Amino acid sequence: MFSFDPYSPSVDADPFPYYQRLRDEHPCFWSPEAQMWILSRYADIVSAGQDWQTYSSASGNLMTELPNRAGATLGTTDPPRHDRLRGLIQHAFMKRNLESLGEPIRDIARAAAQDLRGQADFDFKDFSSKFTVRVLMAALGLPSGEEAIVDEATVRDKAVLMVQSDPRTRGKGPEHLEAFNWMQEYAAKVIAMRRAAPRNDLISNFAMAEIDGDRLDEREVLLTTTTLIMAGVESLGGFMMMFAYNLASLPEVQALCVANPALLPDAIEESLRFNTSAQRFRRRLMKDVTLHGQTMKAGDFVCLAYGSGNRDERQYPDAGRYDITRKPRGHLGFGGGVHACLGTAIARLSVKIAFEEFHKVVPRYTRVADQLAWMPSSTFRSPLRLDLAVQAAAGQ
Amino acid sequence: MTQITYIEPDGKAVTVNVTEGWSLMQAATANGVEGILGECGGSGACATCHCYVDEARLADLPPPSQGELDMLENAAAERRPNSRLSCQLKAGPALEGLTVTLPETQE
Repeated sequence: MFSFDPYSPSVDADPFPYYQRLRDEHPCFWSPEAQMWILSRYADIVSAGQDWQTYSSASGNLMTELPNRAGATLGTTDPPRHDRLRGLIQHAFMKRNLESLGEPIRDIARAAAQDLRGQADFDFKDFSSKFTVRVLMAALGLPSGEEAIVDEATVRDKAVLMVQSDPRTRGKGPEHLEAFNWMQEYAAKVIAMRRAAPRNDLISNFAMAEIDGDRLDEREVLLTTTTLIMAGVESLGGFMMMFAYNLASLPEVQALCVANPALLPDAIEESLRFNTSAQRFRRRLMKDVTLHGQTMKAGDFVCLAYGSGNRDERQYPDAGRYDITRKPRGHLGFGGGVHACLGTAIARLSVKIAFEEFHKVVPRYTRVADQLAWMPSSTFRSPLRLDLAVQAAAGQ
Repeated sequence: MTQITYIEPDGKAVTVNVTEGWSLMQAATANGVEGILGECGGSGACATCHCYVDEARLADLPPPSQGELDMLENAAAERRPNSRLSCQLKAGPALEGLTVTLPETQE
């Protein structure tokens, strides 16, 4: 009998055969292991993502939710509260407002890439982690350089740990909760610093913001800041690992992007569609819904399997094939609907710059291992490490 | 299904059958219509899905909220009396046959 357990290590490693059967045979599937319904077709996911009155985020959006977080962050509130919170933050992340970050991001990428020079092989995570944490620090206004209160590697490790789940208990383990608590304490220190001496940065502005004349709830400020750091570091770092994995596995695509960096944006979009790191998020039903002959009850949790919608042949012909010329508009690599990723513009910009600089130092590379260790997570998917071997550049 | 026609910035008309309840922004991006970004995903927080609706049909549409009117101030292209955010327009019988024109720029 078919089963789909999003906690299973085999789903972490390769969810796509499961998704295919879900879409074709069980488009509205009850997973006893996850205790939720799974929606896997593009159109169903997009419909649910827009219908927040029915598919609520207020009971949490991570497949395995962190304690006391639901209701206090962008991803875990519904409109109209959500839209007002988002209105406070979106401005800083809009494409037209990111231009001033272009040069600092390039400097960060150049420095991180220089550290790889002369190495015959390396774990790509060394590059992606360093780059991601520094970019997030710059974008959010986290204390860095002489002002830093934690070291970069710790921020990255905690962000990655807190989104993981335990495949045996199908819940959060003590190490995941400890990482979540660490991140909250870090966020609280930064908020206190910025309130004591406000600067013109995102966290200063958010910590002092008001909605309709009311200061934000303290829990909202703390958990939204915690989530911005977690989501920024984990999602950007995780996607960079997936993108490097794609380029290392597809030498012809890699060669095209190295020869002509103007193709990087097309490759990034196709990778976001083909195997984004944000695979599955959840909602909770506010009323009974009948879909594909199944009746889901009010109060039931529903998984929106973005990674599956992106491989739906009903939306993308030959969806299982990586096609750099596809230009996949409307993909779900950043989720969809009112909760679509806040950081789409900075993610696209950062990944493009990171790989432009990475390819200047490492123009040709292959994967060292066939089998990879995948992160145990019911929500996100990326390899825990990605060893790359440097090859002589083409023509040398 | 609601039939919506989008006029892309270069003048090309694209007609899409939109599922009831989908926003005109979401339907445009899912169908590869050029001229809409939708950076914020449809929470009315970015003004990059700005469109001009057929003036003769303005009365058929639900009126814009104060939030939408405020956000339209941030539209990159000229704001006109028939400016709307396409993420706030949901397909349904009232919109059948509507034509929306997309501005030259969203950013």
